[in-house]
Amino acid sequence: MQTLDYLFGPYATMRPAAAAALAVALLCGILSPLVVLRRMAFVGQGISHAAFGGVGVAAVLGLFAAGAGTGALLGAWGVVALFCIGAGLAIGALSRRDEIPEDTAIGVLLVASMALGFLLLQLQRGRAGSASISVEGFLFGQVATIGPPEAWLAWVVLGLTLAALWWIRRPLLFWAFDEPMAESLGIRGGAIQSGLMVILAVTVVVTMQLAGVILATAMIVLPGAAALQVARRSSSVLVASVGFGVAGVVVGLILSFETDWQPGPNIALTYVGLFGAARIWNVLRR
Amino acid sequence: MTREPPHDGPAIRLQGVGFGWPGHPPAVEDVSLEVERGESLAIIGPNGGGKSTLLRLILGELTPDTGRVEVLGMPPAQARKARLIGYLPQRSAANRNFPVTVRQTVEMAALVGLAPWRRASSEIRERVDLALERVQLTDLTHRPVGELSGGQFQRTLLARALAVDPPILILDEPTSALDPGAQEQLGQVLARLQEVEGLTLVIVSHDIRAIAAPRSGPDRRDALCDRVACLRRTLHFHDSPEGITPQVLAHVFEHDLSQVFGEVQVLARPLSTPDRER
Repeated sequence: MQTLDYLFGPYATMRPAAAAALAVALLCGILSPLVVLRRMAFVGQGISHAAFGGVGVAAVLGLFAAGAGTGALLGAWGVVALFCIGAGLAIGALSRRDEIPEDTAIGVLLVASMALGFLLLQLQRGRAGSASISVEGFLFGQVATIGPPEAWLAWVVLGLTLAALWWIRRPLLFWAFDEPMAESLGIRGGAIQSGLMVILAVTVVVTMQLAGVILATAMIVLPGAAALQVARRSSSVLVASVGFGVAGVVVGLILSFETDWQPGPNIALTYVGLFGAARIWNVLRR
Repeated sequence: MTREPPHDGPAIRLQGVGFGWPGHPPAVEDVSLEVERGESLAIIGPNGGGKSTLLRLILGELTPDTGRVEVLGMPPAQARKARLIGYLPQRSAANRNFPVTVRQTVEMAALVGLAPWRRASSEIRERVDLALERVQLTDLTHRPVGELSGGQFQRTLLARALAVDPPILILDEPTSALDPGAQEQLGQVLARLQEVEGLTLVIVSHDIRAIAAPRSGPDRRDALCDRVACLRRTLHFHDSPEGITPQVLAHVFEHDLSQVFGEVQVLARPLSTPDRER
């Protein structure tokens, strides 16, 4: 079985990918219920598409060139992260102002980023001597390019995000549940929303390495959606969401290893299957 | 039992208060009234008459263009920040799909301001238990809010407003979305809060049946309020409920309501301190 080879064989080429995937699954599992309950699925989609704009900029800057080294690679992801954070904060700011509806703002940003990213990648390709960058890899994820630096990054992001969420857990819950009343009692809703956007943006950046720009949303939305079908208390929802998150990634990755196909679609379809099963179970038990 | 800062004088005082949105006629004009400590005031009037605006002025969300508002002797925003005013809004933005229990909902308010590394103290937990008891929800403490009826959810939000032990409670149309049974239960809870615990209540309603009561017959009961204020931009009436005649109502609502409320008379309830000044 190829999976065992990839993970435990002489070269264990896929172990960093598996390690990163586990961190991403935990991160998405914890964030997902909040994303679903606050109806931020489309926001997540907008941010992940903004990442593609960042990819284009990083490519033009030569940061993705073969042989550019770990520093350039981290710089590339830094550029992508900046794009995502910028998009998240812009969406938050525009929607708080009420002038432009939030989904319109997201639509504009999403489209602009994708187009810009693609054009810049074309530009980069046109330059003599540059290695071609796999567009498909960015769109749908690729395990081959996840090395130890990316895996470490994923675990560091997980740790920092968990710490941040723990720190603001009480005002976050109140704000998410009843924003006007929370703000009237002194909770700073603007700060929490901005913080949440940054957390979401950083989550998208580490998730897109695995699932790609287009399907990163699947990992951020579906575990929580499935969990809310089967659980009704906050503690059980969190446990279920993390459980679904990890299960989906494990099954999806194994499928991907065995078939040598992109991980993104495999993982996404597994999540869809899990959600479907959860939904059926919910309907049947009534 | 309720916390109160040292202060003589009325719980709420409005002097010549006026407010209008730019480019519009004033929403409220020259409103002066006082709400004594432990009193319950009902504010009735037609929609668009300024009731919600008046509430927002009392809560400190709006600043009056003219006149002044004082709550327990201090600016309303300050009183709100000091958690001296509990508020039950007309429409709650709370997301009932949230996987939280009744207890968690009430706790949210009690835990505001607690440092993230601190656990909820036993004092806080007792306050939450007490708030749930005051609204008769002790049996439903661990029920997810998505499974509550409208009346039960309303009482959960009331418990949340009470969780910080405020001496003043302001309710905006608390019964308008409830069925008669739930209205009755909420009325009992509020009456007890005022009579037994000395809470100051301000209740806004556009439905005078919330404070009125049939004078005789099987539904006869006491009205909820010590005094009634009728507001249509200005104060058309502010006195004990027995003074409300169909003429007063017709003037305030600009409509002859006697066909609907002809048989209704608001019953007076004796005030607890007979020698208080008016």
